[in-house]
Amino acid sequence: MAEEFNTESMLSVFLYESDQLLEKLEGIILEKQDADCFDDSDINDIFRVMHTIKGSSGVMMYENITKASHKLEDIFYYLRESHPEDVPHMELVEKVLAVSDFITSELDKIKNGETPDGDESKLVEDLDEFLSRIKGEIKKQGIRLPKENKQVEPNQFYIMPVAEENSHFYRIVIHYKNDTQMSNIRAYSATYALKGVAEDLLYTPEDILSNEASADTILVEGFHMYLQTKASKEEVLKLIDSSEAESIDFDEITAAEYGQDLVHLGRPDVPIVINLDDNAQPAKETKAAPMPGDYVVKTKEAGKGKTLAKNQPKQQSIISVNVEKMDSLMDLIGELVIAEAVVLQNPDLKVPGLELTNFQKASAQLSKITTELQEVIMSMRMMPLSNTFQKMRRIVFDVSRKLGKDIELEVVGENTEVDKNIIEHISDPLMHLVRNSVDHGIEENAEQRTAAGKPAKGKITLEAKNEGGKVYISVRDDGKGLDKEKLYQKALDNGLIENKPISEFQDKEIYRFITLPGFSTKEVVTEYSGRGVGMDVVVKNIQDIGGRLDITSELGHGSEMTLVIPLTLAIINGIIVRVGDSPFVIETASIKQFVRLGEDALIQEPNGEEYVVLRGDCFPFIRLNEKYELPNSQTSIDDGIVVVLEHEGRQVCVLIDSLLQEQEIVVKPIPPYVKKVKGISGCTQLGDGSIALILDIGGLILDEERR
Amino acid sequence: MAEELKEEELLEEDTQKGKFMTFQTGKEYFGISISYVNEIIAMQPITAIPEVDDYIKGLINLRGKIIPVIDVRVRFKMEPKEYTDRTCIIVIDVKSTVIGLIVEKIAEVDTIMDDDVIPPPTLGHHEHNKYVYGLARTGDTMKLLIDPEKLIKQDDMNMLETMQDNEE
Repeated sequence: MAEEFNTESMLSVFLYESDQLLEKLEGIILEKQDADCFDDSDINDIFRVMHTIKGSSGVMMYENITKASHKLEDIFYYLRESHPEDVPHMELVEKVLAVSDFITSELDKIKNGETPDGDESKLVEDLDEFLSRIKGEIKKQGIRLPKENKQVEPNQFYIMPVAEENSHFYRIVIHYKNDTQMSNIRAYSATYALKGVAEDLLYTPEDILSNEASADTILVEGFHMYLQTKASKEEVLKLIDSSEAESIDFDEITAAEYGQDLVHLGRPDVPIVINLDDNAQPAKETKAAPMPGDYVVKTKEAGKGKTLAKNQPKQQSIISVNVEKMDSLMDLIGELVIAEAVVLQNPDLKVPGLELTNFQKASAQLSKITTELQEVIMSMRMMPLSNTFQKMRRIVFDVSRKLGKDIELEVVGENTEVDKNIIEHISDPLMHLVRNSVDHGIEENAEQRTAAGKPAKGKITLEAKNEGGKVYISVRDDGKGLDKEKLYQKALDNGLIENKPISEFQDKEIYRFITLPGFSTKEVVTEYSGRGVGMDVVVKNIQDIGGRLDITSELGHGSEMTLVIPLTLAIINGIIVRVGDSPFVIETASIKQFVRLGEDALIQEPNGEEYVVLRGDCFPFIRLNEKYELPNSQTSIDDGIVVVLEHEGRQVCVLIDSLLQEQEIVVKPIPPYVKKVKGISGCTQLGDGSIALILDIGGLILDEERR
Repeated sequence: MAEELKEEELLEEDTQKGKFMTFQTGKEYFGISISYVNEIIAMQPITAIPEVDDYIKGLINLRGKIIPVIDVRVRFKMEPKEYTDRTCIIVIDVKSTVIGLIVEKIAEVDTIMDDDVIPPPTLGHHEHNKYVYGLARTGDTMKLLIDPEKLIKQDDMNMLETMQDNEE
C-alpha cells in the first residue's frame, strides 16, 4: 500500500509527526510524574498520541511500532473506560516511557536509513502483564470490566445528536440498477449531497469508499441511509442523484424508530448511545466512549453537516524550514536593505530645491517594512529553550529513579529564546550538568538531607534568563555543595595543579578544578557520571560557542553551575565607530563606557607603551589608528573618544575618532582568502552597503599583552 | 556524438574556448581565460583590512556577498596608480574562491587559440613571470596570459594554510 504513495515525503511527514507526538507524550508524562495518577485529559491525550502513532506506523508498515503503540493504547483505553483506582502510577509512567523510548529508537533507525528491527515482543508482554494486573485488581473490587479492546475493523461509532423539535427522520433506501458501475461511488455522492442539509446521517454499508466490494452489496441489498434533517422530503429527494437508481424507498419515521433502526444497523458489539431524552446533556459527555480505531461521527451544529474525522492531534502551527533557505532569505533581505539605501539616498534626488513630499512619505513606509522584515528574519532563527529543558526533565527522572533519589525539578524561564545553532550546542553540556547535579549534587539518601535540616526531597532548579545580550542557563541544586578541601586535595593528588597551599587559590579557581580533564571526585564510577570526562568536555563545548561556565557553591547548601552563552552567533548588538575613514563595530556588551579624556590622563612609558588613568585605575591604552595604520584619523586624545572595553574581567582603553550609531549587526566571516587579522573577528555590511570590521576585544587584549 | 547532452556541453565549452578577457595595466596588456570571470563591476568603495599584504586592498560588498579585492598593479610589483573612472573590478572565481581584481582598464574579449600561445622564456626568471604562463599576439599587441590560480596564491607560508582551508 505504501508504495502507491510518494513514500519519501510520507516518510518524512511520518517521522516529523511522530517526533512531535512523542515529545508531547514525554511532556505530559514528565509533568505528571510526581502526581498520584493521570487525570482524564492526560489519559485522553496519551491515548490519542498512541492511537495516531499506531495508525501512521501501520500505514508505513512498521509493524513493531504499531504493536507496541497498540498495546499502550489498550492500557490507556482501559484507564479511560473504567477509571480503575490503585493503578501503580510510577510503574505506568515507566511503561509509557519505555514505549516512547522504543519508538524513538526505531524512528532513529528509520532516520538513519536502517530497518526498524527492534523486537517489541518483550515490551508487549510487559504491557500485557501490566494490563492484566490492573484489570485483576479491578475484578477483586467487583467493578464491571469494559469490553476487551479488540483491534477490529474501524467501526462507525455513533453518537446520537440532540434531536431538535422540527427535525424529520427519514429512512432512505436506494436500489441501483443492476448494471450500475461503481454504485459505491454513487452512494457516496448521495451522502455527500445530503451533508449540506443533514443534521445527522448514517448509512450502510459503511465502507463505501474504502471497500470496492461494497458496490456489490449495494447492488443486492440497496443502499440504506438514515437521515435526520430539517429539510422536507421533496428537498431531500431533489438532492439525491437518481439517474442510475431503479427505485428510492423513502419513509419518514419517528425519532424512536430512527434510534431503533440504528441499533439494527450497527453491529451487535458496537455500543450505541441514544441520547434523545436528555436534551441538556451534550452528546460528547456520553459515558461510553468510542473504541480505539473507530471513526467517531459527531454531529456538528444543525444544518452545517457533519465531519467524518479520525481522531487527530491538533494541527501543527509550526513548519520546519531548511536552514539554507533561511540563510539565503537573510542574505536577500540584507541586499534589499542595501538596495533601499541606494534608492533612497540616490544622488539624483539631491537636486537643490526639489520637492519630494510624496517620495519621502513612500520611502518612510518602505523603510518601515524593510526594518520589520529584518526583525522577523532575525526572530525566525530564535527558538525557545523549552524542548531542551524537556529533555532535562527526562534525565532527572531517569537518573534519580535509578539512583533511588527523590528529586524534584523546577524549571524557570523555559521560553527564553536562543539562536537555533546555539541550542544545538548546549544540549549535551546541559545534560552533563544536570546529571552531575542529580548524581553528585543531591545527597545519597533522604536521611542525610533531613539530618542537615533540609526537606527530604532534593530540588534541582533549571533556570534560563536573558540578560545583556547573553543567556544565562543555570543548574542549581540544594545538595551537598562542593567541598573545597576535597577538590583541592583531589586535584593535587592527580597532579592537575601546582603544589601551592590551598589559601593561594581563589574559591572560583578551586571550583574550576572540576573542569580539568581527568578530574573526578566520585570514588565510585556510576553509569551516569564519575569518569572525569564530561566536565572538561562541557567547558570545551561551551567555549566553542563563545560562552563560559561559572561555578558557585556553598558547602552543605548546594551548588550552581551557570552557562553564560551569547544569544546568537549570527547577530550581535554593536556600536559602529569610526577611526579614520574606516568604520568598526564594537559589541555593545563589551563596552563599559565612553569618555573624553585630556592629555593629562595619559601616561607614557619610556618604551612607548601608554596607559590611561581613569578614576584611580590604570588601563592599557590602544590607539587603533596607529595599530592598524589608518590614515586621516585623530591622533590627539583631546579630539577623540576613549572607549573602555572589558573582556573576561580585563579592561582596555581604545581611542576612536567618533561614534556613528548603534545597530543590530549580522556577523559575517572575513573571506578566508584574507589571512586572520589579530583583533578582528569578522565583518558586516552596514545599512548603506559599506563594510565594517568587527573588533574582537579578546583578541585585541591578547595581542596587547603579548607585546 | 550521439548524445545531445554531450553536444550541448561541448558547445558551451566551445563558446568559451580560446576567449580571453584582456585588460590593460600600464602599457602591457594581460589576458585571463574567460571561464574564470564571473562579472565586471565598476569601482566601489573598499573597506581596508589592517595588517595584510599591500596588494590586498580590502573588502567590497558584492550584492550581500563580501569578497576581497586585490590590486593587480601592486600584485605585479608595479607602482600603484590613482583609480579613475576607467578602473574596473573583474570578479573571478577560482576554485570557489571569489576575488575581485582591480584593473586600470578593460580592453576587450579576444580569441586566442592554443597554437598561438608562446611559452614565456625560461631564462631570466623574474618574479612576476610566474603568473604568466604564455604570450600571445593578437592584432598589433602582445598579450600576457595570466594563470589566475597562481595569481591569487600567496607567497607567505602562513597564507598557504588559509589557502588550503579555502580549497577544502
